[in-house]
Amino acid sequence: MTVLKAVKSRVKHPMDNLLRMDRIPHIWCPGCGIGIAVSAFAAALDKAKIDLDKVAIVSGIGCTGRVAGYVKIDSFHTTHGRAIAFATGIKLGNPEIKVVVFSGDGDLISIGGNHFIHAARRNMDMLVICVNNFIYAMTGGQVAPTTPLKAYATTSPFGCVEPPFNIPYIADSSGAVYVARWTALHVRRLTNSLVEALNKRGFSVVEVISPCAMYYSRINRLGDGLDMMKFYHDNAEIKHGEDTKNLDIGFQTKIIVGKFVDRERPSYLESYNRWLSEMKDGTP
Amino acid sequence: MRANPKDVNTGVYYIDGDVASGYGALAAGCKFVAGYPITPSTEAAEAFARIAPKAGAMFIQMEDELGSIAAVVGASWAGVKSMTITSGPGYSLMMETIGFGAMLETPFVLLNIQRGGPSTGVPTKTGQADMMQSRWGSHGDYELIALSPDSPQELFDYTIKAFNLAERYRCPVMIMSDECVGHMTEKVVIPPADEIEIEPRRFYAGPKDKYLPFKPDEDLIPKMAKAGDGYNLYISGLTHDERGYPAENGGCQSVYTKRLVDKIRLNKDKIIELKEEGLEDAEVVVISYGISSRVAVRGIEMAREEGIRVGSLRLVTVWPFPDERIAELAKKVKAFVVPEINYGQIAFEVERCSHGMANVILVPHGGAGVHHPDDIYNAIEYARRLEGRVEGVIEQKTRLERLVFEERIKLSE
Amino acid sequence: MNPFITAFAKGIERSGVDPIKVSVVSDIPFDPGVVNHLHIDFFHTIRGRAIAFGTGLKLGNPALQVVPIIGDLVTLGGNHFVHAGRRNMDLLVICVNNFVYRKIAGELAPSIPPSFSPYSTFEEPFNVPHLANSCGAIYTARWTALHTDELTLSVSEALKKRGFCVIEVLLPGPNYYRRIKEIESDLVNFYYENSVIRDGEDPRNVGITPEGKIVVGKFTDKERPTFIDSYNAQLSSVLGDEFIPYGG
Repeated sequence: MTVLKAVKSRVKHPMDNLLRMDRIPHIWCPGCGIGIAVSAFAAALDKAKIDLDKVAIVSGIGCTGRVAGYVKIDSFHTTHGRAIAFATGIKLGNPEIKVVVFSGDGDLISIGGNHFIHAARRNMDMLVICVNNFIYAMTGGQVAPTTPLKAYATTSPFGCVEPPFNIPYIADSSGAVYVARWTALHVRRLTNSLVEALNKRGFSVVEVISPCAMYYSRINRLGDGLDMMKFYHDNAEIKHGEDTKNLDIGFQTKIIVGKFVDRERPSYLESYNRWLSEMKDGTP
Repeated sequence: MRANPKDVNTGVYYIDGDVASGYGALAAGCKFVAGYPITPSTEAAEAFARIAPKAGAMFIQMEDELGSIAAVVGASWAGVKSMTITSGPGYSLMMETIGFGAMLETPFVLLNIQRGGPSTGVPTKTGQADMMQSRWGSHGDYELIALSPDSPQELFDYTIKAFNLAERYRCPVMIMSDECVGHMTEKVVIPPADEIEIEPRRFYAGPKDKYLPFKPDEDLIPKMAKAGDGYNLYISGLTHDERGYPAENGGCQSVYTKRLVDKIRLNKDKIIELKEEGLEDAEVVVISYGISSRVAVRGIEMAREEGIRVGSLRLVTVWPFPDERIAELAKKVKAFVVPEINYGQIAFEVERCSHGMANVILVPHGGAGVHHPDDIYNAIEYARRLEGRVEGVIEQKTRLERLVFEERIKLSE
Repeated sequence: MNPFITAFAKGIERSGVDPIKVSVVSDIPFDPGVVNHLHIDFFHTIRGRAIAFGTGLKLGNPALQVVPIIGDLVTLGGNHFVHAGRRNMDLLVICVNNFVYRKIAGELAPSIPPSFSPYSTFEEPFNVPHLANSCGAIYTARWTALHTDELTLSVSEALKKRGFCVIEVLLPGPNYYRRIKEIESDLVNFYYENSVIRDGEDPRNVGITPEGKIVVGKFTDKERPTFIDSYNAQLSSVLGDEFIPYGG
């Protein structure tokens, strides 16, 4: 321990100014992919050259919900499912702030599904990073709306019977302007995607497929985090511009990754300002 | 009616309270559970999901708690017994639909394994601060029933009782347990099916065209029908008349809400279950519920060793509240000691019911843990020595609070 | 009552399903007379929860034909909408879109205050068939108050299908209907002049924009196992004889 402390005091980590080092060690299990997503995000913040004082990060509840607590920018750990709604408030309260929602699949797509589709419809200007580990890990491995068919979880003890959501498709069809998916293996591409998305105006979604060694892999006998990384290496296929409706993920099937949507639509505030400025004397 | 043997996993188990409640629900004839993962209640849903398919019952994990409870009310109107399972934040989300269920006089059971709050609070640790929320959480006037078991065996037994009460009084029934009991692993005995009494749904059996879904019987409770049987149901969350048709006038509103509260209030004697011990000659009475009553047992023992005459009143049924019994005791005893894991909820109810005739001492706890038996002993001791009547509730300073606030001992980091 | 109820009643009749087994779940109250006349069960739930309530009703008794009628687009109940679609819950969702909306109605309804519109007027509305299709609906269609025959046919087709079916109906809602009755005939004209039937169109191209015409028609009609089918198939494959299939 003392050696570690000594090393800590001598060596400056390149992300010291981006992460709350006083909160390290973090709570994530060995083999988890969330930490990789966080460092990709931190690297992207650095690369995107944006004023860190003008970035806020909002998380919900869950393993990924703890991300906000480790990044050294204004961070909010909110209630379950309400991260996007909370972020909408921050954005409209101070439009100068670049809002990043960093949360998990259960938080954003299950309980927060309505805020997700409505923020996309409004094209609320925020970046949503959705870490998808196919399961509710914080509560101990329950089935999620992303759990592949037939995969096991504690509340689907005989195999999942519900088809999972294809997150890029639902984001695309609700109106997101930027949609990408990467796995925790594609760190460099993920970082580049996050830089692009940070510079985009409108509702951007980046899905990060992450291993959950403790629950998803253990319950389904898929090995540890490294085995999942090997699986991604062998089974992830990069197809930029692929039609989002073809991005379903089955149980241990091929995972298509890439940037699928990059388009322009007026953001909520742009529409609002235009509409109200056209409404001189009360009529449009 | 006796339970269906298919639904009862008879045997002796070493399981936690959550799991026991899942088994209890199935034994009570519950065929539909909708839930959403939330610590510390998830084990109950997991247990039900494991055993349900073998008994023709279903567990569905809905997209959120709003959906879970709406589906539970829906399933009840389709004619099956139904339950949802939740904790803290999920319970808050369900409030609107609990009122909707009460308005529709829908029988269903809600298992709330309380945790520390507000908001996310301490998800893995205990609390008893939802007691008032369970009574007054949804808007408008209604009464419901809340039970507070204190052991895994009781979570099994009282889950069955909760279903029976829900069917009997056509109202939502809350099982207000807490994390300590939910995660406490103990021996649980599941008796054979023919020893389990269950209340079947009281369906209407008369001529179809004469059916009025909200026309009460003499005990103020209407008979129920289910969807798809040709009753032409018109069921609305708007204030309605006996036919179920919206009737938003003052008269109808008064008549209807009065019956919603009266059907519980006037049947109070039959609903309320209390566990009393040593009350005959008591000078101090400890009123407790849930996990606090398990801790209180030791505090009471210590006081008795010192020769103090102390009795125990355990609220197994917390709502409706046993006003009369407490008023009666207040005339005889010197003081009530109320340990609870909050800063005063049931203690104020006790004070209301004691009508200034006995002192009320609250032994609070912020949550994330239980009382030290010393605190309860100290409160009993203090209550006995206290001369005269003190207005309002006296808040006992507990050992933990002295450590934190006076000696400034840092308990975390 | 308005043209939708008539078409709905005719649709039940034409589909041949037993009206006694039909349960309508809505977040707007219906006229009790209509309910009695149709011989259905009717549940008026709280705002946004019609689909979740309907899910419970369907799972409580799989023999029921549950029809959630959602009157507020998918604002409050959007999450239940997408998740029921994903599960392919056997429901017929009728999305009554009372679109009195300046951008579209243009000069038609200048007197209608913004509070009449389901969304603040500058927000883009959902493309309901596309949303439904992308979350897994097996049947999507859109009709206006003008297309009563087509709507009747759609209702009867969808009632016979097993799975999550969505029909979007553009019409002034029952409450607005009375208030704006004087312009009702104009609205019908508006629908007549501005709608175009394109059956089988890709739902992503049927968004309603201020410029283009309103595309109506049947857009999706496919097969996918319902929630109860998948549940029974998966559990009987894992549990074998121990499993009691749900819903008989």
